[in-house]
Amino acid sequence: MKVMIVEDEMLLAMELEAEVEMAGHQVTGIAMSSSQALKQINASKPDFAFVDIHLMDGPTGIDVGRELAAAGIPYIFVSGNIKRIPEGFAGALGAIEKPYTMNGMKNALTYICAIVEGDESGSPPASLVLAEDAHVAKRFG
Amino acid sequence: MQEKDQYRTDARNAGDRLVAGHVSEDPFAAAFKATRMPMIVTDPNQSDNPIIFCNEAFRRLTGYRDDEIIGRNCRFLQGPETDKATIAKIREGIAAGHDVAVDILNYRKDGTTFWNAVFISPVRDEAGTIIYFFASQLDFTTVKSREADLAAARHEAEAEVAKNTANLKAALEARTLLVHEVDHRVKNNLLTMASIVKMQVRITADYRQRQTLMSVLNRIEALSTVQRKLFTLDDVSKFDVSEFTKELVTDLVDATGRNDIRLSLDLSPLLVPAVKATPLSLIVNELVGDAVRRGLMDGGGDIHVLVKRLNGHFLIRVEDTSEPVEPDIESTELGRMLIEASALQLGAEIERKQDGRKTVVDVVLLVGDHQENTH
Repeated sequence: MKVMIVEDEMLLAMELEAEVEMAGHQVTGIAMSSSQALKQINASKPDFAFVDIHLMDGPTGIDVGRELAAAGIPYIFVSGNIKRIPEGFAGALGAIEKPYTMNGMKNALTYICAIVEGDESGSPPASLVLAEDAHVAKRFG
Repeated sequence: MQEKDQYRTDARNAGDRLVAGHVSEDPFAAAFKATRMPMIVTDPNQSDNPIIFCNEAFRRLTGYRDDEIIGRNCRFLQGPETDKATIAKIREGIAAGHDVAVDILNYRKDGTTFWNAVFISPVRDEAGTIIYFFASQLDFTTVKSREADLAAARHEAEAEVAKNTANLKAALEARTLLVHEVDHRVKNNLLTMASIVKMQVRITADYRQRQTLMSVLNRIEALSTVQRKLFTLDDVSKFDVSEFTKELVTDLVDATGRNDIRLSLDLSPLLVPAVKATPLSLIVNELVGDAVRRGLMDGGGDIHVLVKRLNGHFLIRVEDTSEPVEPDIESTELGRMLIEASALQLGAEIERKQDGRKTVVDVVLLVGDHQENTH
């Protein structure tokens, strides 16, 4: 699948890119700001995206997420503070909390890839907080 | 003027008659005259209910002479600052023949004011007709001014509290911002460190060297998992060992890619002070990692992890059954050192039992409640 990475820390972005490629996917591009991200969404039509919330132009990852949701592109947030994600997760499938582990990211990527390809039989890994679970936690927590 | 003088004479006569009704040694009359409480008697049967008798205490309080008092209605004590509603209350009480108790601002002869707690009560004859009104006065100006002082002091204190609260709020906001910033940096730095090691792994050709780097990465990532699990509880000073263990073990086992590893978890919430999070987590990471390296990774098997309270102590048990393989010596040695150091730091006891293909390691953290609550 074609993956877009929205992340302003270039070292982390490049490392994630390597992991995505090792798992057999293509990275359509790395965006460090919301404007770069919006351009890439239209230009490269990714199948999936990782979106950090804090980008070079501020906490604009949420807007990027809403744009992706509007374009029908599944994505997950990658953030150091998933408590700050707005209710409803802005249309995201879920979130991976930083600092993620190599295994955590690998397991999440496997699960997400299956979901994007229409296979919903797998169970989500511990490293991935699903939007609906976060909902339930907020409602009953 | 003539008429007024007549009233005065009438009032004086009435007062004289009142006194004459009592023999000179009448203790009630003597008490009335000598008491330190200002008192008067008025006659409602005369025009305008004049004062017909007052005691020495009343003259001292008001500064008037006897002849300036007798024959006048009490209202001569009122002045411009006297509350109209209070005056009305007295008037209504007298008209209805009730007791009246009010606090009123009165004026002395010299024009100075005093706060007067007045009590007025009708005196009735045997037929029930009101023949006199009796009134006692109490100067409570000092109480009143103390009240004002207290009120002023309270306003001042409230203003001070409001100021301090605003300062504290600002300080708290600054602190919260700082904590978020520091937390964010620690998380980013951990991920950056891990990324640097992973980059080195990718460009290292030698298998042994790559193994060593992965061994370091595994420990950095254990700390990453700790950092993620810190500050997630309502009580930020606590860390849930079970939450950590669940995520660490499932991620580790999932990532082996083997579906012949049967993982079972028996985890009860186990809150420890945040300061114990790192050494405890390193121990769990080493025990589980060791089980994976000793055989699970190669031939599959069973792994069971238990976290619970036991007789007031904390028990962490890692139990695995697998076909043993020779583990990497260097990684095993690092694991042994990390467990030893962490156990020493925590004062934890570690017991390891091996029975054929089965290995059981118990970590017992001896905690009194006092220790549990220290940060």
